[in-house]
Amino acid sequence: MIEVKDLRKEFPLSKQQKAEIQTTDTVSVAVDSISFTCQPGKVFSLLGPNGAGKTTTLRMLATIFNPTSGTISICGHDSVKESELVRKKIGFLTGSTGLYGRLTPNELITYFGDLYGVSKADQAIRKEKLYDLLDMHDFQNKRIAKLSTGMKQKVSICRTMIHDPEVVIFDEPTSGLDVITAENIIELIKECKIQGKTVIFSSHIMSEVDLLCDDLAIINKGKLLYQGTMDAFRANMQETNLTAEFIRIIRNS
Amino acid sequence: MIFTIFKKELKETLRDRRTILMMIVIPVLLIPVILNVSVGIMSSVEKEASAKELRIGIIGNKNCFVGKELEAIPASFGKKKISYYPDAASLQKDLQKDSLDLGVMEDALLKDKFSKKTPATILWYFKGTEMGMEERAKGYMQYLENKTQQQRYQEMQIDGTQLKPLIPVYKNIASDKEMIGKLAGGFLPYIFIAFGFMGCMYPAIDLFTGEKERGTIETMLVVPVARWKILFGKMGVVILSGLLASSFSLLGLYISLNYSDVIQVPEIKEVIQSILTVKFILILFLLLIPLTVFFAGVLIPLAIYSKSFKEAQSIITPLNLVMILPAMLASFIPGFELNYATACIPVINVVLASKDLIAGTLDMGMLAVSFLVMAIFAGSSVFLSNYQFGKESNVSN
Repeated sequence: MIEVKDLRKEFPLSKQQKAEIQTTDTVSVAVDSISFTCQPGKVFSLLGPNGAGKTTTLRMLATIFNPTSGTISICGHDSVKESELVRKKIGFLTGSTGLYGRLTPNELITYFGDLYGVSKADQAIRKEKLYDLLDMHDFQNKRIAKLSTGMKQKVSICRTMIHDPEVVIFDEPTSGLDVITAENIIELIKECKIQGKTVIFSSHIMSEVDLLCDDLAIINKGKLLYQGTMDAFRANMQETNLTAEFIRIIRNS
Repeated sequence: MIFTIFKKELKETLRDRRTILMMIVIPVLLIPVILNVSVGIMSSVEKEASAKELRIGIIGNKNCFVGKELEAIPASFGKKKISYYPDAASLQKDLQKDSLDLGVMEDALLKDKFSKKTPATILWYFKGTEMGMEERAKGYMQYLENKTQQQRYQEMQIDGTQLKPLIPVYKNIASDKEMIGKLAGGFLPYIFIAFGFMGCMYPAIDLFTGEKERGTIETMLVVPVARWKILFGKMGVVILSGLLASSFSLLGLYISLNYSDVIQVPEIKEVIQSILTVKFILILFLLLIPLTVFFAGVLIPLAIYSKSFKEAQSIITPLNLVMILPAMLASFIPGFELNYATACIPVINVVLASKDLIAGTLDMGMLAVSFLVMAIFAGSSVFLSNYQFGKESNVSN
């Protein structure tokens, strides 16, 4: 479960940045008082155009950034005061995540398993299961730098899931991937939902949203424009398709 | 957790060819190469200089005093070819054109002055830009002076020794070890410091800037491990790389001394070997450890701040000079001694303490102050690294 209340994030502006955007403000507001809740066993989609504040919001959920104000509670733990506990509960995967090219998938998964405090026995069981699911056995001992993009994405998924997180955060997980590789992610999100995990993912690909999500929020310029269930969104659409409706909401804001 | 991170980072670092090159290959190979090349050049220059036929121009003719005397100078003074000039202008012109190496003009009143037993002038022309010419001129002059002086003593029937009431004897009581320590002792710590810094440089950039550039930093920041532990795990590898680079440079020196004939004077070889004792190495590392931590602590914040490998290199390369230049000055400036003031200057204190250590004159009080100062600087730099690593703006792209 994720509960976000009045979340705000400001970044200080340097002199050069102020001159570039011609402002006298000392800070730029990336996220402006947004609140939402993500339920276990449901997929929550955070939608918005580029620069809307999606990545900043997800980075705050993942404890990479601290909120300027507002609170985030993940599985009942405060993301600032109990950040290490929160990190144990979450898996974080982004489309731009890199991997350690000089390690093999096996070494990398073991490393992250150790960092998450997963016992060796549990690591072995989970590795076997994930390798079977993602068909990773053939390349588990090859250097990651020599793997294809699809193989790398499978390793990323495995790294994200090795500690069996209760909450999974995906930041544009399919961006830049071909349809076959993106399918692995789609399947992973579906699997997480079946397992009762809380899933939040950001995207601007409406077909993915349509396929996967139960609840959604639309943000633009850091502000929350819409929040509700996918069914309600579909029912109240003023346009003929999801993409057109999304564009309408953004333009009206 | 720090050790888990350390192990993984070390594994990655040891699989990076650039780091291996900077940490192991260059230190081990470069010192024997530098020593061999420099000794080779020096001996070939010496050989060339001694074999070179010196072209001497004399203003006058074969019957003048200088002409006769120089023609008679023994071959042990080196090969020479003498030519005669009618005037100073044509001689100087040939010197300028490099057709001559030395020019000589005797006093016009030389014969008169000799008969009156007064001093006569011998004027030597040479180009200061030509190495060793002044020394060759002084050598010939010394020979002519001694010979003429003896002749004059005989003519005047004087015992020359009676005109020398004092015979100076200069006795150097410093041991060979001390001499080498003071004169060339700076060379060793300079090498260890230079390689130590370079050894830290690539891992620091790779483990911090590289993580940002490759997009792996986010995955590290979401693991349930405190940031300072992540920093310490990575920093451990940077420090170890610096220390390994210093150690491999020591190994390179050991190989040069034992398995090549780079140093052909057995006494010097013996002295250098007597310097490289276990005690020396232990005390050297006692100083190098806080110094390397300091290097890592200075490099890491810059690597964290940089957004790309290129940016990190452009920031860190000038720092290379800032760090190594004082070490170089302290190494090679004579008379720059370790005292309570210099013991408080980081980097320089390590060089000066190492020089004294090699010379066997290291004061333990100074060593303690140097170590304490380096430890304070190392601690402060670690604190700075931790501060930089904790800043959101520095750890995200």
